[in-house]
Amino acid sequence: MRKVLILDARDNIAVCLADLAEGDVVQQDDITITVKNKIPRGHKIATREIAKNDGIIKYGERMGHAVAPIAIGEHVHVHNILGDRLSAEQV
Amino acid sequence: MTSPLKAYKRANGAWGLRNQVLILPMHSALSSTARAIADGSDGAVAISHDWSGEKDNDLARIIFTLSGYASNPNIFATIFLSIGNPEEEQIIKGAQALGLTRFTNLLLPEIGSMEKLQQEAITLANGYVKEAGAQERVDAPWSAIVLGLECGGSDALSGITANPALGVASDRLVELGASSVLGETTEILGAEHLLAARAIDPAVGKKIVEMVARYEDSINYEGIDIRGAQPSRGNIEGGLSTLEEKSLGAAKKAGNAPFTGTLEFGEIPKVAGLYFMDTPGHDIEQLAGFGAGHINVVVFTSGRGTPTGSAIMPTIKVSTNTPMYESIPDLIDLDAGTIADGIETLAQVGDRIFDEIVQVANGKLTKAERGGHHEFALSRMYKTVVK
Repeated sequence: MRKVLILDARDNIAVCLADLAEGDVVQQDDITITVKNKIPRGHKIATREIAKNDGIIKYGERMGHAVAPIAIGEHVHVHNILGDRLSAEQV
Repeated sequence: MTSPLKAYKRANGAWGLRNQVLILPMHSALSSTARAIADGSDGAVAISHDWSGEKDNDLARIIFTLSGYASNPNIFATIFLSIGNPEEEQIIKGAQALGLTRFTNLLLPEIGSMEKLQQEAITLANGYVKEAGAQERVDAPWSAIVLGLECGGSDALSGITANPALGVASDRLVELGASSVLGETTEILGAEHLLAARAIDPAVGKKIVEMVARYEDSINYEGIDIRGAQPSRGNIEGGLSTLEEKSLGAAKKAGNAPFTGTLEFGEIPKVAGLYFMDTPGHDIEQLAGFGAGHINVVVFTSGRGTPTGSAIMPTIKVSTNTPMYESIPDLIDLDAGTIADGIETLAQVGDRIFDEIVQVANGKLTKAERGGHHEFALSRMYKTVVK
Protein backbone atom coordinates (compact mmCIF):
# COMPACT_ATOMS: atom_id res chain seq x y z
CA MET A 1 0.00 0.00 0.00
CA ARG A 2 1.29 3.39 -0.97
CA LYS A 3 1.02 6.13 1.67
CA VAL A 4 1.51 9.15 -0.58
CA LEU A 5 0.87 9.96 -4.23
CA ILE A 6 3.39 11.96 -6.24
CA LEU A 7 1.42 13.35 -9.19
CA ASP A 8 4.36 14.64 -11.25
CA ALA A 9 8.15 14.32 -11.01
CA ARG A 10 8.45 18.14 -10.87
CA ASP A 11 6.24 18.44 -7.77
CA ASN A 12 7.51 19.57 -4.36
CA ILE A 13 4.47 18.13 -2.58
CA ALA A 14 2.75 14.74 -2.48
CA VAL A 15 -0.86 13.87 -1.66
CA CYS A 16 -1.38 11.69 1.43
CA LEU A 17 -3.39 8.53 0.76
CA ALA A 18 -3.81 7.80 4.47
CA ASP A 19 -3.95 9.84 7.68
CA LEU A 20 -0.31 10.39 8.66
CA ALA A 21 0.91 11.00 12.23
CA GLU A 22 3.98 12.85 13.49
CA GLY A 23 7.03 10.59 13.29
CA ASP A 24 5.60 8.27 10.60
CA VAL A 25 8.17 7.36 7.97
CA VAL A 26 7.12 7.28 4.33
CA GLN A 27 9.44 5.17 2.21
CA GLN A 28 8.34 5.01 -1.39
CA ASP A 29 9.45 5.88 -4.95
CA ASP A 30 13.10 6.54 -3.94
CA ILE A 31 12.08 8.99 -1.22
CA THR A 32 12.15 8.70 2.53
CA ILE A 33 10.20 11.28 4.48
CA THR A 34 9.70 11.62 8.19
CA VAL A 35 6.29 13.16 8.83
CA LYS A 36 6.63 16.37 10.89
CA ASN A 37 3.00 16.85 11.95
CA LYS A 38 -0.41 15.20 11.69
CA ILE A 39 -1.69 15.26 8.07
CA PRO A 40 -5.18 14.02 7.06
CA ARG A 41 -5.83 11.83 4.00
CA GLY A 42 -6.16 13.88 0.82
CA HIS A 43 -3.98 16.71 2.19
CA LYS A 44 -0.47 17.62 0.99
CA ILE A 45 2.96 16.86 2.47
CA ALA A 46 6.19 18.65 1.47
CA THR A 47 8.61 16.33 -0.36
CA ARG A 48 11.30 19.02 -0.80
CA GLU A 49 12.56 21.97 1.25
CA ILE A 50 10.41 24.97 0.30
CA ALA A 51 11.58 28.54 1.02
CA LYS A 52 9.23 31.44 1.71
CA ASN A 53 7.76 32.73 -1.61
CA ASP A 54 8.76 29.56 -3.49
CA GLY A 55 6.08 28.18 -5.81
CA ILE A 56 4.07 25.16 -4.68
CA ILE A 57 4.19 22.70 -7.57
CA LYS A 58 1.39 20.13 -7.98
CA TYR A 59 0.68 18.24 -11.24
CA GLY A 60 3.94 19.81 -12.46
CA GLU A 61 2.29 23.24 -12.32
CA ARG A 62 2.32 26.17 -9.92
CA MET A 63 -0.73 26.27 -7.64
CA GLY A 64 0.40 29.05 -5.26
CA HIS A 65 3.36 30.06 -3.09
CA ALA A 66 4.71 29.52 0.41
CA VAL A 67 4.12 32.29 2.96
CA ALA A 68 6.56 30.65 5.38
CA PRO A 69 9.48 28.24 4.97
CA ILE A 70 8.21 24.63 4.77
CA ALA A 71 10.42 21.67 5.74
CA ILE A 72 10.28 18.21 4.18
CA GLY A 73 7.53 16.21 5.89
CA GLU A 74 5.42 19.22 6.89
CA HIS A 75 1.71 19.63 6.19
CA VAL A 76 1.22 22.02 3.24
CA HIS A 77 -2.11 23.81 3.41
CA VAL A 78 -3.87 27.15 3.92
CA HIS A 79 -1.76 27.95 7.02
CA ASN A 80 1.52 28.14 5.07
CA ILE A 81 0.60 28.71 1.41
CA LEU A 82 -1.49 31.17 -0.62
CA GLY A 83 -2.86 31.15 -4.15
CA ASP A 84 -1.04 33.49 -6.54
CA ARG A 85 -4.26 35.00 -7.87
CA LEU A 86 -7.04 34.58 -5.38
CA SER A 87 -7.34 32.68 -2.18
CA ALA A 88 -9.81 32.01 0.54
CA GLU A 89 -7.70 34.02 3.02
CA GLN A 90 -8.18 37.23 1.07
CA VAL A 91 -11.95 36.93 0.99
CA MET B 1 2.76 4.38 -35.30
CA THR B 2 0.15 2.16 -36.95
CA SER B 3 -3.19 2.28 -35.25
CA PRO B 4 -5.35 -0.70 -34.26
CA LEU B 5 -8.45 1.36 -35.08
CA LYS B 6 -11.24 0.38 -37.42
CA ALA B 7 -13.90 3.01 -38.09
CA TYR B 8 -16.47 4.27 -40.58
CA LYS B 9 -15.07 6.63 -43.19
CA ARG B 10 -17.29 9.58 -44.14
CA ALA B 11 -17.38 11.32 -47.53
CA ASN B 12 -15.74 14.48 -46.11
CA GLY B 13 -12.82 12.50 -44.65
CA ALA B 14 -14.13 12.44 -41.07
CA TRP B 15 -14.27 9.18 -39.11
CA GLY B 16 -17.22 7.68 -37.29
CA LEU B 17 -16.74 5.33 -34.35
CA ARG B 18 -20.43 4.48 -34.47
CA ASN B 19 -22.95 4.21 -37.32
CA GLN B 20 -26.10 5.61 -35.73
CA VAL B 21 -29.39 6.54 -37.33
CA LEU B 22 -30.60 9.67 -35.53
CA ILE B 23 -34.21 10.84 -35.25
CA LEU B 24 -34.01 14.61 -34.69
CA PRO B 25 -37.14 16.58 -33.79
CA MET B 26 -37.00 20.19 -35.00
CA HIS B 27 -39.59 21.30 -32.45
CA SER B 28 -39.94 20.38 -28.80
CA ALA B 29 -43.51 19.20 -29.45
CA LEU B 30 -42.15 16.39 -31.64
CA SER B 31 -39.81 15.09 -28.93
CA SER B 32 -41.95 12.19 -27.70
CA THR B 33 -42.78 11.25 -31.30
CA ALA B 34 -39.04 11.08 -32.05
CA ARG B 35 -38.55 8.83 -29.02
CA ALA B 36 -41.46 6.59 -30.09
CA ILE B 37 -40.00 6.26 -33.59
CA ALA B 38 -36.59 5.26 -32.22
CA ASP B 39 -38.18 2.76 -29.79
CA GLY B 40 -40.31 1.29 -32.57
CA SER B 41 -37.38 0.92 -34.97
CA ASP B 42 -34.65 -1.70 -35.28
CA GLY B 43 -32.03 0.42 -33.53
CA ALA B 44 -32.36 4.10 -34.45
CA VAL B 45 -31.72 6.63 -31.66
CA ALA B 46 -33.51 9.87 -30.81
CA ILE B 47 -32.88 13.03 -28.85
CA SER B 48 -35.38 15.41 -27.36
CA HIS B 49 -35.06 19.11 -26.53
CA ASP B 50 -37.13 22.08 -25.42
CA TRP B 51 -36.74 24.43 -28.40
CA SER B 52 -39.91 25.36 -30.25
CA GLY B 53 -38.69 28.02 -32.66
CA GLU B 54 -38.14 31.00 -30.32
CA LYS B 55 -36.38 33.84 -32.07
CA ASP B 56 -34.24 35.17 -29.23
CA ASN B 57 -30.54 35.94 -28.85
CA ASP B 58 -29.78 32.23 -28.64
CA LEU B 59 -31.31 31.36 -32.02
CA ALA B 60 -27.96 31.16 -33.87
CA ARG B 61 -26.47 29.05 -31.05
CA ILE B 62 -29.43 26.64 -31.18
CA ILE B 63 -29.33 26.36 -35.00
CA PHE B 64 -25.62 25.53 -35.15
CA THR B 65 -25.89 23.14 -32.20
CA LEU B 66 -28.57 21.13 -34.04
CA SER B 67 -26.73 21.36 -37.41
CA GLY B 68 -23.49 20.19 -35.85
CA TYR B 69 -25.15 17.42 -33.86
CA ALA B 70 -27.11 16.12 -36.90
CA SER B 71 -23.85 15.88 -38.89
CA ASN B 72 -21.64 14.24 -36.23
CA PRO B 73 -19.48 11.62 -38.01
CA ASN B 74 -20.84 8.92 -35.66
CA ILE B 75 -24.13 9.27 -37.58
CA PHE B 76 -24.88 7.19 -40.70
CA ALA B 77 -28.13 9.02 -41.45
CA THR B 78 -30.43 11.58 -39.82
CA ILE B 79 -34.21 11.74 -40.05
CA PHE B 80 -35.45 15.26 -39.32
CA LEU B 81 -38.99 15.70 -38.03
CA SER B 82 -40.14 19.16 -39.12
CA ILE B 83 -43.17 21.26 -38.31
CA GLY B 84 -42.72 24.06 -40.86
CA ASN B 85 -40.60 26.71 -39.07
CA PRO B 86 -38.27 28.65 -41.40
CA GLU B 87 -35.19 27.76 -39.30
CA GLU B 88 -35.58 24.06 -40.13
CA GLU B 89 -34.23 24.50 -43.65
CA GLN B 90 -31.28 26.43 -42.19
CA ILE B 91 -30.50 23.62 -39.74
CA ILE B 92 -30.54 20.99 -42.52
CA LYS B 93 -28.41 23.13 -44.88
CA GLY B 94 -25.98 23.70 -42.01
CA ALA B 95 -25.74 19.96 -41.35
CA GLN B 96 -25.07 19.29 -45.05
CA ALA B 97 -22.31 21.91 -45.08
CA LEU B 98 -20.74 20.09 -42.12
CA GLY B 99 -20.73 16.71 -43.87
CA LEU B 100 -24.19 15.13 -43.52
CA THR B 101 -24.93 13.21 -46.74
CA ARG B 102 -27.76 10.79 -45.88
CA PHE B 103 -30.91 12.31 -44.46
CA THR B 104 -34.65 12.68 -44.92
CA ASN B 105 -36.78 15.58 -43.79
CA LEU B 106 -40.31 14.57 -42.82
CA LEU B 107 -42.67 17.53 -42.72
CA LEU B 108 -45.71 17.04 -40.52
CA PRO B 109 -47.94 19.56 -42.43
CA GLU B 110 -47.23 17.69 -45.71
CA ILE B 111 -47.82 14.23 -44.25
CA GLY B 112 -50.90 15.43 -42.44
CA SER B 113 -51.05 12.75 -39.76
CA MET B 114 -49.05 12.05 -36.62
CA GLU B 115 -49.61 8.35 -37.05
CA LYS B 116 -48.47 8.40 -40.69
CA LEU B 117 -45.44 10.49 -39.75
CA GLN B 118 -44.46 7.90 -37.16
CA GLN B 119 -45.00 4.95 -39.52
CA GLU B 120 -43.09 6.58 -42.39
CA ALA B 121 -40.23 7.47 -40.07
CA ILE B 122 -40.00 3.92 -38.70
CA THR B 123 -39.91 2.44 -42.22
CA LEU B 124 -37.23 4.93 -43.26
CA ALA B 125 -35.24 4.38 -40.07
CA ASN B 126 -35.28 0.61 -40.53
CA GLY B 127 -33.99 1.03 -44.11
CA TYR B 128 -31.13 3.23 -42.88
CA VAL B 129 -30.35 0.88 -39.97
CA LYS B 130 -30.08 -2.04 -42.43
CA GLU B 131 -27.76 -0.06 -44.73
CA ALA B 132 -25.69 1.10 -41.75
CA GLY B 133 -25.32 -2.49 -40.58
CA ALA B 134 -24.00 -3.52 -43.98
CA GLN B 135 -21.28 -0.85 -43.97
CA GLU B 136 -17.92 -2.20 -42.78
CA ARG B 137 -15.35 -0.59 -40.55
CA VAL B 138 -12.04 0.03 -42.30
CA ASP B 139 -8.49 0.67 -41.05
CA ALA B 140 -8.39 4.15 -39.55
CA PRO B 141 -5.54 6.39 -38.37
CA TRP B 142 -5.16 7.62 -34.77
CA SER B 143 -6.60 10.95 -35.91
CA ALA B 144 -9.98 9.16 -36.21
CA ILE B 145 -10.36 9.58 -32.45
CA VAL B 146 -11.74 12.95 -31.32
CA LEU B 147 -12.01 12.56 -27.56
CA GLY B 148 -14.15 14.73 -25.28
CA LEU B 149 -13.03 15.17 -21.64
CA GLU B 150 -15.74 15.70 -19.08
CA CYS B 151 -16.23 15.52 -15.31
CA GLY B 152 -19.35 15.77 -13.18
CA GLY B 153 -20.27 15.04 -9.60
CA SER B 154 -16.65 15.65 -8.60
CA ASP B 155 -15.32 14.78 -5.15
CA ALA B 156 -12.09 15.32 -3.18
CA LEU B 157 -10.46 12.44 -5.08
CA SER B 158 -11.32 13.66 -8.62
CA GLY B 159 -8.17 15.75 -8.90
CA ILE B 160 -5.82 13.00 -7.75
CA THR B 161 -7.33 9.82 -9.27
CA ALA B 162 -9.67 9.83 -12.27
CA ASN B 163 -8.79 13.25 -13.72
CA PRO B 164 -4.99 12.93 -13.84
CA ALA B 165 -5.33 9.28 -14.97
CA LEU B 166 -7.54 10.45 -17.84
CA GLY B 167 -4.82 13.04 -18.53
CA VAL B 168 -2.32 10.22 -18.98
CA ALA B 169 -4.61 8.58 -21.58
CA SER B 170 -5.30 11.92 -23.30
CA ASP B 171 -1.57 12.72 -23.54
CA ARG B 172 -0.87 9.31 -25.10
CA LEU B 173 -3.63 9.79 -27.68
CA VAL B 174 -2.58 13.34 -28.58
CA GLU B 175 1.03 12.15 -28.93
CA LEU B 176 -0.16 9.47 -31.39
CA GLY B 177 -2.07 12.01 -33.51
CA ALA B 178 -5.60 11.90 -32.09
CA SER B 179 -7.55 14.94 -30.87
CA SER B 180 -8.69 15.64 -27.33
CA VAL B 181 -11.01 18.40 -26.17
CA LEU B 182 -11.27 19.84 -22.65
CA GLY B 183 -14.51 21.69 -21.91
CA GLU B 184 -16.21 23.36 -18.96
CA THR B 185 -15.02 26.96 -18.68
CA THR B 186 -16.33 27.15 -15.11
CA GLU B 187 -13.94 24.40 -14.10
CA ILE B 188 -10.70 26.05 -15.26
CA LEU B 189 -11.43 29.44 -13.66
CA GLY B 190 -8.37 30.41 -11.64
CA ALA B 191 -6.01 28.13 -13.55
CA GLU B 192 -6.52 29.56 -17.04
CA HIS B 193 -3.15 31.37 -16.99
CA LEU B 194 -1.48 28.02 -16.28
CA LEU B 195 -3.27 26.34 -19.20
CA ALA B 196 -2.50 29.35 -21.40
CA ALA B 197 1.20 28.84 -20.66
CA ARG B 198 0.86 25.42 -22.32
CA ALA B 199 -0.51 26.89 -25.58
CA ILE B 200 1.46 26.24 -28.77
CA ASP B 201 1.57 29.98 -29.44
CA PRO B 202 0.75 33.17 -27.49
CA ALA B 203 -2.41 33.86 -29.51
CA VAL B 204 -3.96 30.54 -28.39
CA GLY B 205 -2.96 31.27 -24.79
CA LYS B 206 -4.50 34.73 -24.99
CA LYS B 207 -7.73 33.22 -26.31
CA ILE B 208 -7.97 30.74 -23.40
CA VAL B 209 -7.62 33.64 -20.92
CA GLU B 210 -10.18 35.70 -22.87
CA MET B 211 -12.72 32.86 -22.89
CA VAL B 212 -12.57 32.62 -19.10
CA ALA B 213 -12.75 36.42 -18.72
CA ARG B 214 -15.80 36.46 -20.98
CA TYR B 215 -17.43 33.84 -18.77
CA GLU B 216 -16.53 35.81 -15.61
CA ASP B 217 -18.07 38.95 -17.12
CA SER B 218 -21.27 37.07 -17.89
CA ILE B 219 -21.64 35.75 -14.36
CA ASN B 220 -20.69 39.12 -12.85
CA TYR B 221 -23.49 40.53 -15.00
CA GLU B 222 -25.86 38.08 -13.34
CA GLY B 223 -24.62 39.38 -9.97
CA ILE B 224 -22.82 36.19 -8.99
CA ASP B 225 -19.19 36.08 -7.93
CA ILE B 226 -18.27 32.44 -7.58
CA ARG B 227 -14.59 33.15 -7.03
CA GLY B 228 -15.02 34.43 -3.48
CA ALA B 229 -16.52 31.10 -2.49
CA GLN B 230 -13.65 29.07 -3.97
CA PRO B 231 -12.16 26.88 -2.75
CA SER B 232 -15.14 26.14 -0.55
CA ARG B 233 -14.95 25.15 3.10
CA GLY B 234 -15.59 21.53 2.09
CA ASN B 235 -12.76 21.73 -0.46
CA ILE B 236 -10.37 23.06 2.22
CA GLU B 237 -11.37 20.28 4.63
CA GLY B 238 -10.71 17.83 1.79
CA GLY B 239 -7.19 19.20 1.39
CA LEU B 240 -7.50 21.76 -1.42
CA SER B 241 -5.69 24.98 -0.51
CA THR B 242 -6.03 27.36 -3.48
CA LEU B 243 -8.36 28.11 -6.38
CA GLU B 244 -5.55 27.25 -8.82
CA GLU B 245 -5.20 23.83 -7.19
CA LYS B 246 -8.92 23.11 -7.53
CA SER B 247 -9.10 24.15 -11.19
CA LEU B 248 -5.85 22.37 -12.04
CA GLY B 249 -7.43 19.21 -10.66
CA ALA B 250 -10.34 19.50 -13.09
CA ALA B 251 -8.08 20.54 -15.97
CA LYS B 252 -5.82 17.53 -15.36
CA LYS B 253 -8.20 15.57 -17.56
CA ALA B 254 -6.23 17.24 -20.36
CA GLY B 255 -2.87 15.93 -19.07
CA ASN B 256 0.25 17.91 -19.87
CA ALA B 257 0.11 18.18 -23.69
CA PRO B 258 0.37 21.62 -25.30
CA PHE B 259 -2.89 23.29 -26.35
CA THR B 260 -3.20 23.43 -30.16
CA GLY B 261 -6.16 25.77 -30.14
CA THR B 262 -9.45 26.93 -28.66
CA LEU B 263 -12.96 26.13 -29.87
CA GLU B 264 -16.15 28.08 -29.44
CA PHE B 265 -19.12 26.06 -28.12
CA GLY B 266 -19.90 23.38 -30.75
CA GLU B 267 -16.99 24.33 -33.04
CA ILE B 268 -15.29 21.47 -34.92
CA PRO B 269 -11.49 21.04 -34.51
CA LYS B 270 -9.76 21.33 -37.90
CA VAL B 271 -6.39 19.73 -37.20
CA ALA B 272 -5.44 17.05 -34.66
CA GLY B 273 -4.30 18.18 -31.22
CA LEU B 274 -5.45 19.20 -27.75
CA TYR B 275 -8.14 21.87 -27.56
CA PHE B 276 -10.07 23.88 -25.02
CA MET B 277 -13.77 24.33 -25.85
CA ASP B 278 -15.82 27.08 -24.17
CA THR B 279 -18.70 25.05 -22.74
CA PRO B 280 -20.96 25.43 -19.70
CA GLY B 281 -20.46 23.38 -16.53
CA HIS B 282 -23.87 21.73 -17.06
CA ASP B 283 -22.92 18.17 -18.05
CA ILE B 284 -25.66 17.51 -20.57
CA GLU B 285 -25.49 20.90 -22.31
CA GLN B 286 -21.76 20.44 -22.52
CA LEU B 287 -22.19 16.96 -24.08
CA ALA B 288 -24.49 18.53 -26.70
CA GLY B 289 -21.68 21.01 -27.47
CA PHE B 290 -19.23 18.14 -27.81
CA GLY B 291 -21.62 16.34 -30.19
CA ALA B 292 -22.07 19.50 -32.28
CA GLY B 293 -18.26 19.84 -32.34
CA HIS B 294 -18.02 16.35 -33.92
CA ILE B 295 -16.38 14.71 -30.94
CA ASN B 296 -16.91 10.97 -31.38
CA VAL B 297 -16.03 9.45 -27.98
CA VAL B 298 -16.23 10.89 -24.45
CA VAL B 299 -14.62 9.96 -21.14
CA PHE B 300 -16.60 11.18 -18.14
CA THR B 301 -15.02 11.11 -14.65
CA SER B 302 -17.32 11.15 -11.65
CA GLY B 303 -17.11 10.96 -7.88
CA ARG B 304 -20.80 10.67 -7.13
CA GLY B 305 -21.80 8.82 -10.30
CA THR B 306 -24.08 10.00 -13.08
CA PRO B 307 -26.32 8.20 -15.56
CA THR B 308 -25.48 10.78 -18.29
CA GLY B 309 -24.96 9.33 -21.75
CA SER B 310 -25.36 10.33 -25.37
CA ALA B 311 -27.40 9.01 -28.29
CA ILE B 312 -24.46 9.38 -30.67
CA MET B 313 -21.19 9.49 -28.66
CA PRO B 314 -20.08 6.46 -26.65
CA THR B 315 -19.46 7.79 -23.11
CA ILE B 316 -16.99 5.94 -20.89
CA LYS B 317 -17.51 6.57 -17.16
CA VAL B 318 -14.57 6.52 -14.78
CA SER B 319 -15.16 6.61 -11.00
CA THR B 320 -12.83 8.59 -8.72
CA ASN B 321 -13.43 6.25 -5.77
CA THR B 322 -13.99 2.51 -5.48
CA PRO B 323 -17.15 2.57 -3.26
CA MET B 324 -18.93 4.55 -6.01
CA TYR B 325 -17.81 2.06 -8.66
CA GLU B 326 -19.12 -0.83 -6.59
CA SER B 327 -22.38 0.80 -5.49
CA ILE B 328 -23.95 1.05 -9.00
CA PRO B 329 -22.31 -1.73 -11.07
CA ASP B 330 -24.14 -0.98 -14.34
CA LEU B 331 -23.16 2.71 -14.39
CA ILE B 332 -19.37 3.02 -14.28
CA ASP B 333 -17.04 1.41 -16.85
CA LEU B 334 -13.70 1.83 -15.06
CA ASP B 335 -12.55 2.56 -11.51
CA ALA B 336 -9.69 4.96 -10.79
CA GLY B 337 -10.22 4.80 -7.00
CA THR B 338 -7.45 2.19 -6.82
CA ILE B 339 -4.96 5.09 -7.05
CA ALA B 340 -6.20 6.57 -3.77
CA ASP B 341 -6.01 3.18 -2.10
CA GLY B 342 -2.38 2.84 -3.20
CA ILE B 343 -3.17 -0.28 -5.24
CA GLU B 344 -2.48 1.08 -8.73
CA THR B 345 -0.38 3.98 -10.02
CA LEU B 346 -1.65 6.88 -12.12
CA ALA B 347 0.22 5.46 -15.12
CA GLN B 348 -1.42 2.04 -14.71
CA VAL B 349 -4.94 3.46 -14.54
CA GLY B 350 -4.11 5.87 -17.39
CA ASP B 351 -3.12 2.90 -19.52
CA ARG B 352 -6.37 1.10 -18.65
CA ILE B 353 -8.38 4.16 -19.72
CA PHE B 354 -6.36 4.38 -22.95
CA ASP B 355 -7.03 0.69 -23.73
CA GLU B 356 -10.73 1.13 -23.01
CA ILE B 357 -10.96 4.16 -25.35
CA VAL B 358 -9.37 2.09 -28.15
CA GLN B 359 -11.74 -0.85 -27.55
CA VAL B 360 -14.80 1.41 -27.38
CA ALA B 361 -13.65 3.22 -30.54
CA ASN B 362 -13.56 -0.18 -32.24
CA GLY B 363 -17.12 -0.98 -31.22
CA LYS B 364 -17.15 -2.21 -27.60
CA LEU B 365 -20.34 -0.84 -26.03
CA THR B 366 -20.10 1.36 -22.94
CA LYS B 367 -22.44 0.85 -19.99
CA ALA B 368 -24.29 4.05 -20.93
CA GLU B 369 -24.84 2.68 -24.45
CA ARG B 370 -26.05 -0.68 -23.15
CA GLY B 371 -28.41 1.12 -20.78
CA GLY B 372 -29.71 3.40 -23.55
CA HIS B 373 -28.83 6.61 -21.67
CA HIS B 374 -29.45 9.24 -24.37
CA GLU B 375 -29.35 12.69 -22.79
CA PHE B 376 -29.44 15.97 -24.70
CA ALA B 377 -29.98 19.60 -23.70
CA LEU B 378 -29.61 22.83 -25.63
CA SER B 379 -27.27 25.41 -24.15
CA ARG B 380 -28.57 28.94 -23.83
CA MET B 381 -26.81 32.16 -22.83
CA TYR B 382 -29.91 34.33 -22.47
CA LYS B 383 -33.40 34.17 -21.05
CA THR B 384 -35.89 32.60 -23.49
CA VAL B 385 -38.15 35.11 -25.22
CA VAL B 386 -41.51 33.78 -26.33
CA LYS B 387 -42.04 34.67 -29.97
